[in-house]
Amino acid sequence: MTRNSEAATIVAASILAGFGVALVNFAQDRSVDAQTALTFLVFLIAFGGLHLAVRAFAPRATPLLLGPVTALTALGFFEIYRLDIALGQDRASFQRWWMLIAAGLAAVTLLLLNRTTISILRRYRNITLLISLALVLLPNLPSEWGFPLRGLEVNGSRLWVLLDIGFTTLQFQPAELAKLGLVAYVAGYLADHQRALREARRHIGPIRFPEPRQLIPLLVTWGMSVLILISQRDLGASLLLFVGFVLLLYAATGTTGYLVAGGFLGVVAGVASYLAFDHVQRRVIAWLAPFQHYEDEGFQIAQGLFAMGTGSLSGAGPGLGRPDLIPNASTDFIFAAVGEELGFAGTVSVLALFALVVAVGLGIAFRSRDTFRKLLAAGLTFVLAVQTILIIGGIVRLVPLTGITLPFMSYGGSALIGNLILVVLLLRISHEEAT
Amino acid sequence: MNGPVRRLSIGIFSGFFVLLLAVTWIQVIHADTLKADPRNSRPALSERGKERGLLVTIDGTVVARSVEDPDDPRSFVREYPEGEAFAHVVGYSSFLVGSAGLESAYAQELRSKRDLTISDLVTVILGRDLRPQSLEITTHSALQRAAYEALGGLKGGIVALDPRTGAVLAAASSPSFDPALLLGADAAAAWEELLADPDGPLLDRATREIYPPGSSFKTVVAAAALDTGAADLNTEFPDPVEFPLPGSTATISNAGGGVCNNGESITLLQAFIVSCNTTFADLSVRIGAEDIGITAQALGFNTEIPFPWTVPEAAYPVETLAEDPAALAQSGIGERDVRAAPLHMAMVAAAVANQGVTPAPYLLNRIFDADGNTLEEFESTPLGRAMAPATASLLTQMMERVVTEGTGRAAAVPGIRVAGKSGTSMGPEGLPNPWFIAFAPVEDPTIAVAVMFEASSELGESASGGGVAAPIAGDLIRLWLEGSP
Repeated sequence: MTRNSEAATIVAASILAGFGVALVNFAQDRSVDAQTALTFLVFLIAFGGLHLAVRAFAPRATPLLLGPVTALTALGFFEIYRLDIALGQDRASFQRWWMLIAAGLAAVTLLLLNRTTISILRRYRNITLLISLALVLLPNLPSEWGFPLRGLEVNGSRLWVLLDIGFTTLQFQPAELAKLGLVAYVAGYLADHQRALREARRHIGPIRFPEPRQLIPLLVTWGMSVLILISQRDLGASLLLFVGFVLLLYAATGTTGYLVAGGFLGVVAGVASYLAFDHVQRRVIAWLAPFQHYEDEGFQIAQGLFAMGTGSLSGAGPGLGRPDLIPNASTDFIFAAVGEELGFAGTVSVLALFALVVAVGLGIAFRSRDTFRKLLAAGLTFVLAVQTILIIGGIVRLVPLTGITLPFMSYGGSALIGNLILVVLLLRISHEEAT
Repeated sequence: MNGPVRRLSIGIFSGFFVLLLAVTWIQVIHADTLKADPRNSRPALSERGKERGLLVTIDGTVVARSVEDPDDPRSFVREYPEGEAFAHVVGYSSFLVGSAGLESAYAQELRSKRDLTISDLVTVILGRDLRPQSLEITTHSALQRAAYEALGGLKGGIVALDPRTGAVLAAASSPSFDPALLLGADAAAAWEELLADPDGPLLDRATREIYPPGSSFKTVVAAAALDTGAADLNTEFPDPVEFPLPGSTATISNAGGGVCNNGESITLLQAFIVSCNTTFADLSVRIGAEDIGITAQALGFNTEIPFPWTVPEAAYPVETLAEDPAALAQSGIGERDVRAAPLHMAMVAAAVANQGVTPAPYLLNRIFDADGNTLEEFESTPLGRAMAPATASLLTQMMERVVTEGTGRAAAVPGIRVAGKSGTSMGPEGLPNPWFIAFAPVEDPTIAVAVMFEASSELGESASGGGVAAPIAGDLIRLWLEGSP
């Protein structure tokens, strides 16, 4: 595939977005109005613009990534638009703005990296870490104080920050950006300390374990995850951070002991948080027996399953199901909404597109000769894959629901910004490795 | 370093594969269970508010229609302009309490095919119509209304057939309900109330409840006697006060408690005219269960009657009766284990009127599209010959004499030759179920009718078929033939 075919897939995905909106309008007996053209144009400008930025600043990057990402965003967008109509919200037009902003920021990221190359992230990794930690802790700011930057609690979780800029307020989830910074830091750290960390002479049975002091980074990350879990009550971000880190540590060292120790620490934290927190217990109850607790804890999961089951093979059709019956359909449960209206065909397509994105990301990691770039590509892909598997797994009842968003598809500006920057980082690595 | 990444990749893609399996389980294998879960309101919601076809009687009265919802121009509400009189025939289709009647039986035809899915496109390309189809039913609105009103809110059912074709001219059940109650937001509460009503307004007493037909069943026994040659009109029978049941100490006595004629002898014709129980108990034993069974079956007993909904089988249990002469004698007067719905007894009258051929009842006359073009027109194939034409003509004479001088005098219509037979069977708590079956005009019958009241305290213990049911049969015949009640 070439850049031109990448452009073609982006145009096709933009048409898909416009066509989805048109179908929803048609199904709802609305006239096929400006929304269709507007959606098509916004997709074309955002992702087409990103494509042009790639042509300018990372021309040798893989052409396989932007197409599927645009398609996933399109599938998510038409469902957000559809839910707006049913729920009387106006999230779609916000999401379109976010799309333009996110693509713009991603393009700027490419531009900046073109001057410095991606190794800047390795060089200034301590600054990255500090910024990331600050971002992670931002929601812990008081929600009532004079300063225009405040923490915000939504649905019992404290992972939002509210910026009051006078005439309006902006809300964002700093963790979506922080996850990139943390992966970059860890990749840099591991690239530098790889050899030391690989020293694993202690054996327990067939499993090799590293020296105790080499476990310190693992313990620090674990501590941070637990801190997020306690102070922000955000199961998703906490789990994502920890799992991503453990996988990257294993990738860097090949030491199975890290997986075992990580798994052990994860289980300890999991059991402890189950015993300590109501909200974790509720999630577990809803996961194990959603239909027995249909009236309260299990309602969202049960509705998601009903939606997907009713969608069956071919789905109700865009705009013809009732995904609005699922609580938080446009954020946490966008996958179930797609499953209801596009059916098995739709969910399999979404899974296939994510698998493609992840495969391309891992391919970049495989082909990287430079250790840092390899670890960064692998880490970013791991985070993306783990996030996807955790949230979809929660919807289909394989794991407890963690309340994180589905990359590219869920409604939310900060997530879109974070994930598009993640994509351009992968593109930049792929470009540098091909040079 | 590619080694660990490769192993993790395998783990990640295994994760995707497990997600794929889970999605397959939910959306393919387990989908029907999830769809059918009563807490899942989606399937019902998708049919709600969609346009449905018209239900029109053959005389052009609209009995069910969809009109645009004034509050929501995109959706429709169902209206039943004729309300209670047609409730059991038209039925209802409710997303809360299910469906019944023609609304249920022809749900596929009546529903709009406009689902806005790919299959719509295919349908349109194939040149088919997405709009709902409409039904024209054989019922005549004036006759139906009159039949429903004649029941006067008491428990009972009336069926009127065209004996030549089997077309259902009226099928009324009382008490009834307004189907519109089952559509709104309060449908569940209305449904509970209807279920709790001791009079059972949801029961269809015209076609879906069976009762002992009493002496109206003597028509069947007489047909068997004449057909098999077991007796003719002038065959003499003893005329006792009581007929001792064979193999039992119990007896059968007559309606008045005395003899039917002179205490010596009585002809079959006389016995039929005055509805003499002892004669027909005797006759039933003489003919035997098998031969009566053959006639009864040809008249629609022990057979599944094709109808838009399942009609319970009318019962004449040949095998048990063949071994139990006492029960056989009781069955000769339509008691014991004999059961029929008004629909079946209307078929008996119609068979006699139709020169011995039993017509198969039908309710749906034609299906037409949204432009009014006929898509399919229906007629029925008769169930078969139940008796020789000569037998039918003799029976017609006997039944006419019932109306001119016997127990059915109340069914007489001036200027019209009416043939009929009364019946009064034993219901619960010793209360009677009055029956009357009739057809007219005798020279060229165009209507056959069965009127039945279910035993109830409002009706009283002295009600008889000749007394309460016969006048209604007469009124309906007059309405049908003269256009005025």
